[in-house]
Amino acid sequence: MKGAEARGLRYDSGINTTIMSEDVRQEGARSGAFVVSARKRKFQKLAKTVSESALLLIASFVAIVILFIFYFVAVDAIPYFQLRGFSEFFTSTEWYPADDPGEFGALAIIYGSVMVTLGSTLLSVPMGIAAAICLSDILPFSVRQYAKPVIEMLAAIPSVAFGFFALVIFAPLLQTQGGPIFMWAWWVLAAPFLLLAIIVFSDLLTAKIEDQKKRQKLSGVLLAVFGIGALAFLYWVGSVLRGIEIITGTNALNVSIILSFMALPTIVSVSEDALQAVGRELREGSYALGATRAETIVKTILPAASSGILAAVILGVMRALGETMVVWMASGNSSHIPEPWFNYLEAVRTLTATIAGDMGEADQVTGSARYHVLFAMGLLLLVISFFSNLVSERIVVRQRKILSGQ
Amino acid sequence: MNLGTRKILDRSFTAVGIGSIVIMGIALLIVIVPIVYNGMGSVFFTGTIEHRNMLYNEFGKGNRDALARENAAAGAYRREIYGMLSRFEAELETMEPEKQQDLRAQYGPVRTALQALVGPIPGDPEAVLTRYRYGQTRWDKAQEKLHDFLYEARWDYSDPNAMAKEYFVSRAAGFEGTSLVKLFPYVEKNLDRILRPEFTVYWGFLTDSSVDSHIFGGIWPEIQGTFFLAVGAMFFAFPLGVIAAVYFTEYARDGFFTSMLRSANSTLAGVPSIVFGLFGLAFFINTLKVSESKSILAGSLTLAIMILPTIIRAAEEAILAVPRTYKEASLSLGSTKLNTIMTVILPAALPGILTGGVISLGRAAGETAPIIFTAAVSVGSAIGLADVFSSPTPALSWNIYNLASEHEAAAEIRHVQYGMVLALVGIVLLLNLSAILLRARISKKLKG
Repeated sequence: MKGAEARGLRYDSGINTTIMSEDVRQEGARSGAFVVSARKRKFQKLAKTVSESALLLIASFVAIVILFIFYFVAVDAIPYFQLRGFSEFFTSTEWYPADDPGEFGALAIIYGSVMVTLGSTLLSVPMGIAAAICLSDILPFSVRQYAKPVIEMLAAIPSVAFGFFALVIFAPLLQTQGGPIFMWAWWVLAAPFLLLAIIVFSDLLTAKIEDQKKRQKLSGVLLAVFGIGALAFLYWVGSVLRGIEIITGTNALNVSIILSFMALPTIVSVSEDALQAVGRELREGSYALGATRAETIVKTILPAASSGILAAVILGVMRALGETMVVWMASGNSSHIPEPWFNYLEAVRTLTATIAGDMGEADQVTGSARYHVLFAMGLLLLVISFFSNLVSERIVVRQRKILSGQ
Repeated sequence: MNLGTRKILDRSFTAVGIGSIVIMGIALLIVIVPIVYNGMGSVFFTGTIEHRNMLYNEFGKGNRDALARENAAAGAYRREIYGMLSRFEAELETMEPEKQQDLRAQYGPVRTALQALVGPIPGDPEAVLTRYRYGQTRWDKAQEKLHDFLYEARWDYSDPNAMAKEYFVSRAAGFEGTSLVKLFPYVEKNLDRILRPEFTVYWGFLTDSSVDSHIFGGIWPEIQGTFFLAVGAMFFAFPLGVIAAVYFTEYARDGFFTSMLRSANSTLAGVPSIVFGLFGLAFFINTLKVSESKSILAGSLTLAIMILPTIIRAAEEAILAVPRTYKEASLSLGSTKLNTIMTVILPAALPGILTGGVISLGRAAGETAPIIFTAAVSVGSAIGLADVFSSPTPALSWNIYNLASEHEAAAEIRHVQYGMVLALVGIVLLLNLSAILLRARISKKLKG
């Protein structure tokens, strides 16, 4: 829409200038102050062409840079695959680059990346979407003004500061107090949800009963019974969690938690944009039909904004996958697949941390497989980020089209 | 569902939303508060006489006469300790060989712990590393070292199923019946007279260079390196970004080419930072050879590419926010398009563009991964402006990693690490705060 307006404007202004120059040519002698000679006009036109093409050149600089990044990372990555082939990199978990001959199985490292990314996504997506809904639909403007800087500050803190926090403060805490922390987190997070679930469940069970008094009585009894059961459940899981002993504080869980807070600002701001893009009409229509705010949001607005939120999630995932310093400092950097595979309390190693950590030594042996394998990892990250960006961008564009079409 | 339950669900939905924002706020506090609290400790702390001696010897700071008086006062107590040591050493010579050997084995660690606490003992050969020439410069560290001196840490492996437990044994017990047994209570009682703790404000932490890889001294080389890198990145990226934004907003026609450029921009914004580092190494250093090896120039160029998309986006938004009426008024007065952009649109958008620039500056200052292979070294002195094209530099972000993860005495210099983190976070957050304030002023102004 904006493009069309801009074009219209340009068209108009074009007409203005041509009309003006004709006037000038005809009446040049009379309005002495406004003379634009034909030569000067030509010069102006030339200057315009030159400046516009210079602008175009500079604007395409970004595209050139992207091509260069792909080219130069690929040029250094391909020799690795020529030297060692594809299968070892993607299927072996043996990572001994310093040995002679070295082993370059990156499967465990790729798995480590997937693991921390997945962990951080699981934590950050529900929280991010809830926060975005809160910012766009629930909080009044005056409060929102204070909430936004919090998110911006979270986004602004350098990753190495988060890494330092994870390594020096969070990891020892997790190692010594891990069990109690888990228990408290479980109680604080699970208790309200369980209470809510009980209320809704007993309400649904008694919904069929016509008699008001009988219904209240029964639902009270149900509440008490379920409540005791839930308390027992909470206590049981809590005591199990309390008993967990953590061997090392620098593990996948630590990194996942920290990464989730780093990905949150991205998720919140992009999905807030998506929620705001859903017009007032949908909201008001839903309210008019008697829906509460929660029902409006869950049943109307979220489905309408779902693709934009998906784009936000993709961007958040990329933020976690591409993050280097936190995982390098606090993931433990041990290249193996945890036992069992979902054990988040073990140390892992990720692609970004491997590139950062191994380059210092591999730098000395430029041209060897050990050097090029790091570029192969970089290429893998680059390709993943390229495609996910493409996908999220398509999604956003499509959503904008659909919403503006309504 | 009855209405009551629906209302409860609605309320709890609201609570979840607000709760998640509160969690983010708490997380921010949990990260920031210890960093600020401990980081302040690198400038404001209780320093000992060793700190003042170190400052005087290494940086020539402090009052010589006052220091001499203090040293004389502390020396009286120190001489007492040294006397005890030499008496014990003489006593050792007279003992039977078996007992002598046993006591010598215990005496070595005691002597080392004492050296760590109060500095070299007279008669020691002069230490090569500066860190061994002084005792504890900070009173909090001195308390820890005092504990090390009084007690020996041992590990209890008795329970094979649980992790080993640490426990402490008094060192004094091992010297029962010798003259050395008096040393331990003496040091414990007189430590404040030996080390003379005093509240210290050490602004030099920000302006001094480091001594013996950050064991003593300040972080000036890192601050300067970060400044050079970030400003250098802005120097390249800011003009390019603003010009590109002008093109996107004022000249670009909707079409395949423009949409491709826009995709390129968002792709660049999504590239993992470590890949920029790889690219900088492969392109600027190995291919273009802008410098022999790592250099500030190569690091700045790499960072510039990284922050370019952010600047373009911010500038685009700022330009689009300029009211259309400004532009139309200018065009209707017969101004050319270029003239309109230069004299009307850009000045009106300038505060917004600057806001984006300031945020990008903060991002360039805080980013680590792109400079690992292109600009950063762990140890180095502050470099002059003439060296930016050829020499690498220490930088706050890189050295935080390096000191926390790779330094051989990482646990001993936590205060330096915290100080660095606080300096970096402070710089970045101040930049962001100024951007936020700038933006608030703009929106007020635009509202009229």
